[in-house]
Amino acid sequence: MSVRLSIDGREVEVAPGTTIWDAARQAGIEIPTLCHDPGLEPVGVCRMCVVEVEGARVMAASCVRMADPGMLVHTASEKVERCRRVLTELLMSEQPGVSPKEETTGDDDLFALARRYDVKARFPGGNPRPKDASSPVIAVDHQACILCDRCIRACDDVQHNDVIGRTGKGYTARISFDLDQGMGESSCVSCGECVAACPTGALTNRPLSAPIQARERLEAVDTVCPYCGVGCALTYHVDRKSNRVAFVDGRESPGNQGRLCVKGRYGFDFASHPHRLTRPLIRVDYPKRALSPEVQSSTRRKRKPGGIVDYDQVMPAFREASWDEALDLVARRLLEIRERSGPGSLAGFGSAKCSNEEAYLFQKLIRAVFGTNNVDHCTRLCHASSVAALLQMIGSGAVTTTYGDIQNADVALITGTNTTSNHPVAATFFKEAARKGTKLIVVDPRRSGISNHAWRFCQIRSGTDVAFYNGMMNIILAEGLADEAYIALHTTGFEEVQRTVASYTPDRVSGICGISVETLREVSIAYGSAHAALTFWGMGMSQHVHGTDNCRCIISLALMTGNIGRPGTGLHPLRGQNNVQGASDAGLIPMSYPGYQPVTSDTARTRFEAAWGACLDERSGLTSVEILEGARDGIIKGMYMLGENPFLSEPNVNEVRKGTHEPGIPGGAGHLSHRDGGVRRRGTAGHHRPGKNRHVHQHRPARSGGSPGARASRRSPPRLEDHLRDWNPHGLPHGVRLGQ
Amino acid sequence: MNAIQELYALQEARGHLRDEDLRALSERSRIPLYELQAVASFYPHFRRTPPPPIRVGVCRDLSCHQRGGPRAADRIASLCAGREDVEFQEISCPGLCDRAPACLVNDVPAASEQVEGYLADPDSIPGLAGIAPATPRRWESDPYQTNDDRYGELRLLAESREYDAAIARLAGSGLRGMGGAGFPTGRKWELVRKEPGGSKYVVCNADESEPGAFKDRVILEELPHLVIEGMALAALCVGAERGWAYIRHEYEAPRVALQRAIDDAYQRGVLGENVCGSGRRFDLQIFVSPGGYILGEETALLEALEGRRGEPRNKPPFPGVVGLHGRPTLINNVETLASVPRVLRTGSADLKFFSVSGDVNQPGVVEAPLGIPLRELVKRCGGMRGGVEIGAFLPGGASSGFLPGDRADVAMDWESLRQADTALGAGAVVVIGAGADLLDLGRNLTAFFRNESCGKCVPCRIGTEKAVILIDEGGEKSLALLPELDEAMRETSICGLGQIALTPVLSILKHFPSYRTKGTTS
Repeated sequence: MSVRLSIDGREVEVAPGTTIWDAARQAGIEIPTLCHDPGLEPVGVCRMCVVEVEGARVMAASCVRMADPGMLVHTASEKVERCRRVLTELLMSEQPGVSPKEETTGDDDLFALARRYDVKARFPGGNPRPKDASSPVIAVDHQACILCDRCIRACDDVQHNDVIGRTGKGYTARISFDLDQGMGESSCVSCGECVAACPTGALTNRPLSAPIQARERLEAVDTVCPYCGVGCALTYHVDRKSNRVAFVDGRESPGNQGRLCVKGRYGFDFASHPHRLTRPLIRVDYPKRALSPEVQSSTRRKRKPGGIVDYDQVMPAFREASWDEALDLVARRLLEIRERSGPGSLAGFGSAKCSNEEAYLFQKLIRAVFGTNNVDHCTRLCHASSVAALLQMIGSGAVTTTYGDIQNADVALITGTNTTSNHPVAATFFKEAARKGTKLIVVDPRRSGISNHAWRFCQIRSGTDVAFYNGMMNIILAEGLADEAYIALHTTGFEEVQRTVASYTPDRVSGICGISVETLREVSIAYGSAHAALTFWGMGMSQHVHGTDNCRCIISLALMTGNIGRPGTGLHPLRGQNNVQGASDAGLIPMSYPGYQPVTSDTARTRFEAAWGACLDERSGLTSVEILEGARDGIIKGMYMLGENPFLSEPNVNEVRKGTHEPGIPGGAGHLSHRDGGVRRRGTAGHHRPGKNRHVHQHRPARSGGSPGARASRRSPPRLEDHLRDWNPHGLPHGVRLGQ
Repeated sequence: MNAIQELYALQEARGHLRDEDLRALSERSRIPLYELQAVASFYPHFRRTPPPPIRVGVCRDLSCHQRGGPRAADRIASLCAGREDVEFQEISCPGLCDRAPACLVNDVPAASEQVEGYLADPDSIPGLAGIAPATPRRWESDPYQTNDDRYGELRLLAESREYDAAIARLAGSGLRGMGGAGFPTGRKWELVRKEPGGSKYVVCNADESEPGAFKDRVILEELPHLVIEGMALAALCVGAERGWAYIRHEYEAPRVALQRAIDDAYQRGVLGENVCGSGRRFDLQIFVSPGGYILGEETALLEALEGRRGEPRNKPPFPGVVGLHGRPTLINNVETLASVPRVLRTGSADLKFFSVSGDVNQPGVVEAPLGIPLRELVKRCGGMRGGVEIGAFLPGGASSGFLPGDRADVAMDWESLRQADTALGAGAVVVIGAGADLLDLGRNLTAFFRNESCGKCVPCRIGTEKAVILIDEGGEKSLALLPELDEAMRETSICGLGQIALTPVLSILKHFPSYRTKGTTS
């Protein structure tokens, strides 16, 4: 059944529940608006979209009025246009002389309307309203605000950050943050969704590394956010003159739907940081102590170790060198070590920041050229245990669904993840689902942002995950909530699970986990009886000595209840770095070649030896932790690191220093000066990297084998000046050759 | 969790809303801070600073303005000046137009002459708890002679259960909404009755806040049982099990009277699980408005009942279809509901309560036949003050247009006033003696609408502000902009407030053309 109506004399047929505004749009008629955005719930407050409906007492706001059968609508009659002009005049009489938006991106919707209606200042001017400069990234000008409520909906309904609202009443009403604080003093997380939504100069980006100009004067580079595994699509607006990013827009994609978080929207200025290395550096001085007093004092707890050290203190220990000299030195030294101590004394750290191509080339370099499988990256400290458990239990070491699938779930188990901080854009979808009725069960020893949106928050004792989930399974089995058909058809070893969880009675689990029996029962029954339940987890699950067991538990839980392979179900390890999935897939791990083909398998090894024309080590390599222990113990004598900073990522910095200080080895490639290392050169910043990533938002059937293709590709990154790309190839084009 | 209820409780406990308490509340209730701020800053009842021992409010609106309000305000303001224990405020109409110029001291109504004494001796200020409702008088609208007779129509309906017939009788009587809009009551009930089952609600709009209107105050104080009976009748007819009386916070005496009557009704079995043996449940409770004229707009009222800022909703859908918590909701005014028992008994809706204020000798509520000439109403109020002629009058409160004194023979009914290009509205008659500065009164009413605009939509939020400035500027050029502004506000505002905000001032410029050029500098 459809609705037929007439708009400006055109017969239009639309689905029931279509607004006049949308119906007109379908007929090719654009009705001006300021407060409406098709991505937001309509509120009908600016009234710019009014239309005449024959027979009605007054005009109707087309963005909120449904099309009714037989309606006769006039969208641009003389009277309508007259009213729109007056509304524009009223709004303009309150505006600052110059719109902060016209001065920057130049796309102030109100000023455009003022030009369209050729508005003159007939109405008296308004009272001045304050500016708010308390946010480091967003400029607020209340004078330019027209109270269209778009930022409010962006903050509260899209991002669910719940910061912006209206305060006051009538003419003095304005937007405010929390309890009417400055934006920078409020709980605002600077995601910038409000800026993206604002049609006027009220909320604008503050320039961070280059002046903000109109989009057409900048080069738009469509790419993917370099931060986390969510993989938000975005567009960098690049100032070609200074070769800097001026500002960022979120880009429509199935994953992020145009949303960004503070990292994606504002975290780009590091690429133009003065500490970024532009030339190779060769270490000339090896004092007994660390180069920076901050590191020296770290044991006295004056300052938390990690972070960027004082540049001026570090630089004297290095001298600049040419690319040829640096690469020759690295190649020569690494070869010497291989000659003297064997391939097993070398190791490489790649990075989850690398593209698939870089990761592939890097592991090939280490395996085929260095001759060792001692190659790893930060996944070891992150989701390696999840991958191990997933590979073992369902045959695929990746997510089985997308985070957006939560909208189809009636229950979502979110455990061991501070998702509002670490995957803020994914968290917006979790919060949205919670608002729409999905029950979030948050299990975490630590109260994090997402627990505020939980249906039940289970604050279990740290390290008691296995007991907790065994307890859940115990109750689910006792309540007859297991999916027996699924278990019979798709699983093996169920009886063993049954035996194991039998002893995890609610009372016992309650004692172990420090959680009430009632809560445990409630969440177990909710999960067990859900039509569709999804599980998300983070490093709170994986970063344990029994991390793999933790993951096995939640996988068993999902399998036992048949919560996999259907909409709204599945297993979803929330990945940390932007390409931690792709780096692992590409073989940047010691035990597997690309595509998780075991290095210990003769078939696999023969295949890769043929492809690469090299003899490969048949033993599994050392993991990142083992490599650094090896360095400390003198087993590892030379390392090549790409985009990885073990001083930040490894569990014990003092041990790391012991290991890396001595050998005088590492050839490093990173953005900024880390604390130590022999030869360093500039790494490529994420948004300078060409290549592909693989993210957690994958569209594929839950149990399909093999790796899906990369989801997003990049084109034409900003040009690099005086340094090589990391994959050219890995800074070792010279010297190191096969068989030498 | 209802933010308004939570804030009431917090303010009750602490005297005002402190940041730390709001943060704790947010944590506890999961109502975001911005929402608490949004609500707390919208309603005048909520305060973010500690209340001083003495709070004096003087009404600044039409009837009081016409009867010495500005002078009283100046005098009292100067008495308060420099005293840290006193807070002085000019307030929007508290519905005491018959006691103009109206004052509130610590929320208790006071005559302006009393204020000086209270300021000199704060201990003599009466407490809110001591407020007692007025002694009921005999009104023709009350069909019951004795206390025992009360709720007779409800008992009849509960027994007959002929709800369609009752609605037909209402429709046949021509009863219309007495809150101002005049929507046919029978039709409204029919609409809600026809909505498919599930929860439905009945709401009594007792948020009378329009300058010149105070009849509902008198009805609530003197005839609360009729309001309750009207609501119970409505509940049976439309199929509602819960109801609210939404009453403005300044109406403490009416609230007490209504609460007593509700308690009595529960005692009698009129309210509760089996309304007069009908086999149907109806529970009724009072919701005190935290303030603001806009809450009388029915969808703004619903927003407040749901604990949010009282900003009117876009319509359609109307509350009869999508109302409180998304359910069909019947909303009627106090007088409309109170009229129902008599209308069901007699089949006739020929009576009307008029609030008469301004330059008459005895301002007050007059119950009179619909269609009574204005002049007759004035006579019933003791004639004009000082024997002056009627210069102009507002027949239906702030949202109707002025008529000149020479139209004083107009019949005060829906149709006659519509033909005269004005409205019966809420029957809030404000009579202005000859010689008054009418443009100043027009300005006063425009300022009232500006002060009470919720700010949700552009035309009303900015338009009312600009209109006041334009009137203040005066002169042909500025005033000539008003009709164009009026068109945009009338056509594009979300609710009635913005739509009619310029009606009074434009009626003055229409009927008294000399004002159009007043103030013009050549």
